[in-house]
Amino acid sequence: MQAFAPGIYPRSEELVQATRDLDRGRTSQEAVDEQIERDLGDLVAAQQAAGLDLLADGMLRWQDVFRPIVDASDGLETGALTRFLDTNTFYRAPSATTATPALSQPLNGGFIAKMPGPRLVTLPSPYALAHGTGVEPTTVAASVLKPQIDALDAELVVLEEPFLARAEPGGVRKLSAALEKLAGGPRLALWVTFGSADALFEEGLGDLPVDAIGVDFLATRANAVPESFDKTLLAGVLDARSSIPEEPGEIAAFVGQLRARGVEDIALVPNGDLQYVSQSVAREKLARLGQAKTEAV
Amino acid sequence: MSSNGEIKFLTHEVGSLAKPPWLVKTSAGKPLEESDVEHAKSWGEKLEVDGHEELVELLRSDERDPEEVARWSSRYCLRLQESAGVDWIWDGEQQRSEMYAWAIAHSNGFEPRGTIRSFDNKYYSKSAAVGPVSLREPYHNDEFSFLKSAARHELKIPITGAYTLAVWSYDEHHLPKSGRLGGGVSRKDEVDARRELTLDIARNIIRPNLEALIALGATWIQIDEPGASTEEDELDIFVESFNISVEGLEGCTFSTHLCFSDYDLFFPAIEGMAGCRQYCVGFANYDTTELGTSGAERPGYEVISKWRDLPYEPILGLGVTDIHTDFIESPELVRDRILYAVDVFGDPARIHVCPDCGLRTRSWDVAYEKLRNMVEGTRLAEEALNRAHAGAR
Repeated sequence: MQAFAPGIYPRSEELVQATRDLDRGRTSQEAVDEQIERDLGDLVAAQQAAGLDLLADGMLRWQDVFRPIVDASDGLETGALTRFLDTNTFYRAPSATTATPALSQPLNGGFIAKMPGPRLVTLPSPYALAHGTGVEPTTVAASVLKPQIDALDAELVVLEEPFLARAEPGGVRKLSAALEKLAGGPRLALWVTFGSADALFEEGLGDLPVDAIGVDFLATRANAVPESFDKTLLAGVLDARSSIPEEPGEIAAFVGQLRARGVEDIALVPNGDLQYVSQSVAREKLARLGQAKTEAV
Repeated sequence: MSSNGEIKFLTHEVGSLAKPPWLVKTSAGKPLEESDVEHAKSWGEKLEVDGHEELVELLRSDERDPEEVARWSSRYCLRLQESAGVDWIWDGEQQRSEMYAWAIAHSNGFEPRGTIRSFDNKYYSKSAAVGPVSLREPYHNDEFSFLKSAARHELKIPITGAYTLAVWSYDEHHLPKSGRLGGGVSRKDEVDARRELTLDIARNIIRPNLEALIALGATWIQIDEPGASTEEDELDIFVESFNISVEGLEGCTFSTHLCFSDYDLFFPAIEGMAGCRQYCVGFANYDTTELGTSGAERPGYEVISKWRDLPYEPILGLGVTDIHTDFIESPELVRDRILYAVDVFGDPARIHVCPDCGLRTRSWDVAYEKLRNMVEGTRLAEEALNRAHAGAR
C-alpha cells in the first residue's frame, strides 16, 4: 500500500500574491522564485509528514499541465484559452504547426524539481497532449514525451490523462499504441483523472502497456476494476474538486472493497490535480490521505 | 439605427477594468510611491477628470479612506470609457472586490475556502455553500447611485448571475459528506444539488438585487454568467435560474454575458430564455487577426448564426476585442468582424459591439487603446454599411 499526490498542487496565498505582483510589475522574478522555493519546501514537508511514499514537486511553475512541454517543443504552440473540463480553470490548448512536432530540449530543474527522496514526475499523457492538435498520439509520444522521459530520474512517471474518460470509444486503442513508444525507461502510470473509467475498463484500460493505472473512484465503481487486476492501481480517492475533507476510515473501507476484488497493489492518490482546491484544503487532504493509508494497512 | 435612418451600432463595455495601483495599495493598507501618485495625476489630466488634483492631494496624505479612493477610481474608469467613445458604460467594478467575492461577501450561507487558479497567474477566491443562502443586503445599490450621479454616458449594470455563483462555489450543504467513493453519488444527485443551490441563489440573492436596482432607476442590467456552460448537462439550470431572476420584472432590459466556452453547448437550451434581450459574447479570443469578412477569415464567429436563429430574436453583443492579450486590434480588424456578423445576421439592428469580456487583466493603457479602436472600428463598419446602403438606393 502506497500513497502519493501527482499533478499540479495549489500555490500558497503568498505565491498567489507574488505571481500577481509579478504580472503587474510590482515584484521581481527573483522574489517569485524565492517564494516558489518556500512553497516547495512546505509541500515536501507536508508530504513527508503525511507519510507519502513518493515525493512530488507540485509542478508549481507549470501554468497548466501542457505548457512547459509545449513551449519546449518545435512544432507545438499554445492556442486559445480553453476551459479545463468542468472547472473554472482554463488552459492554453496546445496546437500544432507541423504533423511531426519534437521536443527541442528536455525540461530543466526549474520545471521538474529535485526531491529529497524517491520521487514521481507528472507529465501529460500522449493522448491528452495530442488532443485537438491533429497530431497522432504516437507521434507525440515518440518525439516529444519519450525524450523527456528518458532524461528523467524518477521512480514513477505519471502520465496525466484528463480527456480519455470523456472521449468517444476507441481512445484506449489509440493510447495503447502511443504508450508502446514510451517503454524502456522508468515505471509508467497512466492516471485517468476526473471521470468515470467504467467504460474504459471494458475497452481494455487495464491492458495498456504501463505499470500502473490511475482511476477516479469518485466517479468509477469499484467493481469496474477487473478481478485480480495485476498492475498497480492508483486509486483516486481524494476529490480534488471538493472542499469537503475525506474521512480516512471511509477510504480504508473502500480499499477493502478493492482488495476483495483481488487488487493487491494499491496506491492512494487524488482523483486529479489538487490545484482545484486551495492550498490549505489540499494540505488537509494530503494529511488525510496519509492517515487513510495507515488505516488501510 | 440612428434617427436619420443611418446604421449606428451601440457600443458597450462588459464590466471590469484593472484597479489602479493607488487603489490597490490603499485597499491593502500599503504606502504609495511617487509613481502611483504620478499615475493618478497623468491619467487625471489625460482623461480630464474633474477635480483630479483633489485625488492627488488625497493620495499624498497619510490618511486615505479606501472607499473614497475607490470612488475616485470609479470616476476615472467612467471617464476612460467616455473618452474612448463607448456608449454604455460601467465603472470597471472599481468598488467591488471581485465579481464573485463581492456577491458572496454580501450573502448569507457561504464560508471562504481560499484561492484557486483561474489561469496562469490569475486567481479567484472560492467559497463553499454551508447552509441556506440569502441576501444580507442589496449589494449594488450604493455603487449604482454614485455612478448615476457621476456618469455622462448611459449605465449598464453588471451583476454576477446565479448559476455562476453556484458553480464557482463548493457545495458542502446539499452534497453528501460521505458515501461518495465507488461512484456512490450519481451524476443525477450532483445535478439535483446544483439545481437546488442555483435556484435558491436566483430567488433569494439575485432577484432582490434586481428589484432594488430597478427601484433606483436601472434600465439595463447585464447578468454575467461566465460559468454558464461549465457543465454541459446543467444548461437547463442556468436557463431556469435566469428566468426566475428576471421573470415579471418591468422597466428594465435584461441581458447576459457569456465567455470562453464552447458556445455550441448553449443550443438549444437558451431557446427557453426569451427574457434575455441581448447576449454579450466573447468571440475574438477564437478568431484570427487577419483582415477580411469571409467565414474563412472569421472562424471565431462561425457560431453566431445560432444566435441569429433564436426564435425571440435577441441582440448579439459581439465581442470584437480579445481581453487576454495586449495585441491592439486595429479599427479595420474590428470593422471586418462587425461586417461579417452583419452579413450573417442580415440585420444590423441585432448587433451591438463590445470587448470579449471585462478588461481587468489589461493595463489601463492597453484597455484604453483597445476600446478606442473598438469604437473607431465600429464607426468604420457604419461608414461601410451606410455607403453600401446609399449606393443601393
